[in-house]
Amino acid sequence: MGRGERHCMDEIEAKAEWVRKALREHEGPLIRYAAQITGALDRGRDVVQDTFIRLCAEDPRRLDGKVAEWLFTVCRNRALDVMRKEQRMKPLEESQLPASASREPSPAEQAERNESTRRAEYLVEALPANQKEVVRLKFQAGLSYKEISRVTNLSVSNVGFLIHTAMKTLRQQMQTDEGQF
Amino acid sequence: MNPNLDDPKLTAYALGELDAAERADVEALLARDPETKQLVEELQQTARQLEGELRVNPCPELSAEQAAAIEAELSLRAEEARQPKWQTPDMPERPPLVRFRLLELFAVIAIIGILAAMLLPALSKAKMKAQHASRREDLRQLSEESLRRPQTRPLVGLDLHTPADVNNESYAPISDNGFLAVGENPLSTFSIDVDTASYSLMRRFLNQRQLPPKDAVRIEEMINYFPYAYQPPKDRQPFAANVEIANCPWNEAHRLVRIGLKGRDVARDKRPPSNLVFLVDVSGSMQPANKLPLLKKCLKLLTQQLTEDDHVAIVVYAGAAGSVLPSTSGDNQRAILKALDRLEAGGSTHGSQGIQLAYETAVANFIPGGVNRVLLCTDGDFNVGITSPGDLVRLIETKAKSGVFLTVLGFGMGNYKDSTTEMLADKGNGNYAYIDTFEEGRKVLVEQMSGTLVTIAKDVKVQVEFNPAQASAYRLIGYENRLLNKEDFNNDAKDAGDIGAGHTVTALYEVVTANQSASTPEVDPLKYQKSPRLNTAATRDELLTLKLRYKEPDDDTSRLITIPVTDDGGNWAAATDDFKFAAAVAEFGMLLRESPHKGEASFKSVRKLAKEGRGSDAEGYRAEFLELVDQAEALAGRRIRQ
Repeated sequence: MGRGERHCMDEIEAKAEWVRKALREHEGPLIRYAAQITGALDRGRDVVQDTFIRLCAEDPRRLDGKVAEWLFTVCRNRALDVMRKEQRMKPLEESQLPASASREPSPAEQAERNESTRRAEYLVEALPANQKEVVRLKFQAGLSYKEISRVTNLSVSNVGFLIHTAMKTLRQQMQTDEGQF
Repeated sequence: MNPNLDDPKLTAYALGELDAAERADVEALLARDPETKQLVEELQQTARQLEGELRVNPCPELSAEQAAAIEAELSLRAEEARQPKWQTPDMPERPPLVRFRLLELFAVIAIIGILAAMLLPALSKAKMKAQHASRREDLRQLSEESLRRPQTRPLVGLDLHTPADVNNESYAPISDNGFLAVGENPLSTFSIDVDTASYSLMRRFLNQRQLPPKDAVRIEEMINYFPYAYQPPKDRQPFAANVEIANCPWNEAHRLVRIGLKGRDVARDKRPPSNLVFLVDVSGSMQPANKLPLLKKCLKLLTQQLTEDDHVAIVVYAGAAGSVLPSTSGDNQRAILKALDRLEAGGSTHGSQGIQLAYETAVANFIPGGVNRVLLCTDGDFNVGITSPGDLVRLIETKAKSGVFLTVLGFGMGNYKDSTTEMLADKGNGNYAYIDTFEEGRKVLVEQMSGTLVTIAKDVKVQVEFNPAQASAYRLIGYENRLLNKEDFNNDAKDAGDIGAGHTVTALYEVVTANQSASTPEVDPLKYQKSPRLNTAATRDELLTLKLRYKEPDDDTSRLITIPVTDDGGNWAAATDDFKFAAAVAEFGMLLRESPHKGEASFKSVRKLAKEGRGSDAEGYRAEFLELVDQAEALAGRRIRQ
């Protein structure tokens, strides 16, 4: 094997490792995020699989430091595509049904979760859709305002405002809850 | 900065989102305003809580299959990167046969003389064998030989019939069914065939201003290409039989009997959930526009018909086989379409690995009571890997027992292996269509989707017993490679054709009535036995008894339907449109095959019958047929003049 080939092999391996690392770091939050948009965990998984398959075609150098942002952007677009197609096919009433039914945790899942986690999930879930989305991107995916702005096509100040409003609601509710316990 | 407890900046500060200048501003404010300070601390605590709680939450993961699909994509890309020339269009890895032809053509010409001397006796022997092969078993053996042929390199390059043509297609030889005397052969037994490939193949040739090779013309497939409006079955029966009799258009003295089966319709929205595996040949030979690109378009069309109850997986094979899409719900159209989009042709063809993997995938995602089907899309040119195509056929035969059905979609021309593809479908509980145009893809995969996907009865066999008091001889038109031995009819272990939802199957018999002498070859009278005497049933005026055997798709025991048929002396004036049209197609097929039994058949008569029998022809298939007749007549005229 010549030096050039060896170099090429290293690059291939490095790229595979890069994709796997991205998968380890972002898999969960991405699925959550996609599931929230599409309304079903399974569909979320499909979208995320697709997102990572697309990542395989990307150049790691081009996405240096921007992987999370890229992943969430692609994932969001794919998820919205899925939803758009869904809505075209379903009668109106059905598409307007709350998408939470399939997100209801099973009893087993419920038992696994601790009190506070469930409370946070529950509270976030109750937020308006646009706040919910940025809150998840912020706290679950760990994206910055700027990254969230690029993923969602909202302005940075708009993102800031949404998060601020959501935080206000969440803070108050968490305090009330704590008062009760 | 003035204290304002509802300033989004405070939240941004708490989350570390501010730049240095803004941060300094906020910190100055915090230093002097304890209320704001407390708020910010609370915000920070809420943020920590949210971060902690939302992240600790058990995180969903991709399924093992989905993760594997990503790994597969990685290794696919790695392979591409390692072998950059693999998919370069100007250096496709050609099938060895073609390379042989192009590079060594001159050398080949030089040895033609030497080889021809050795070949000719063998060839005439093969021809004789074909003439004698009236039984299915012999034919099977023969076609297996013709399958194996492409593997013996030096001989295959020399297609003695069309030596100057780069065409390397292969068709198993067919010799027309002859007349059989009712006295010696009262039973005619065959397996139904819903394949339609031969018609599209023929159309392709005619549209290229060429008459199709005789062996590519299978009359039953041509007849069955067209939907007919037969009476559908009543009750829970899977299909109904319709028999019609009139005088024979190409031989006035004979009678023509049409047996028409109509499968139960399954409404599109009642279609059971499907577990489909697309097995796609992506070898180098699939590159031309009428192969992989057309195939992708057709599969996309099919994908768009699927619903969330359906699942699709995609397996590709070329030099090696791999799964490109794990079983994915039909409502995730994009993932499926995307996976189809990514398919590219390159490398040589290793059929068996792909088939193995496709069936494994189908079995792993088996839907009891649903449609479980592998759709093999190929030009049939398997040239690597498996020891012999006979093995390939045996492999399919074993796989068919898993309850997974097979659809073979043939594509392309040039080195199209009709014999391989037809045999695979035949052995794999399957159906077979040849797709030459996007329109044809739409017909097979959309209009007739239920028929293509949903099998309503399998191993459907037909046995006709002729009454010697009414008929002296008969001839089954077409179905040459579907003939069964008479004892196969009651043998449930013997495989036969399947009928799909809404499918029609038509068979025609040309019958010589008892008052005429039949021109069947004379057999010496038996020395030790008396010829059988007729019983009282024969005195009835029944012409024949039609017996049908079939199995429910998930059953292993056959059921029997028996229908006595009487000839009421009907003629063409009273015949239905469908009967007229089917007769026209049969007559056309006989002309193309230059059948020894074509009698008075002529293009003129074909056209007349087809026009009379055109009916409403909503899809325009019959109009197209009439165009093809004109085309063929012009070509045939030219050939005679030459």
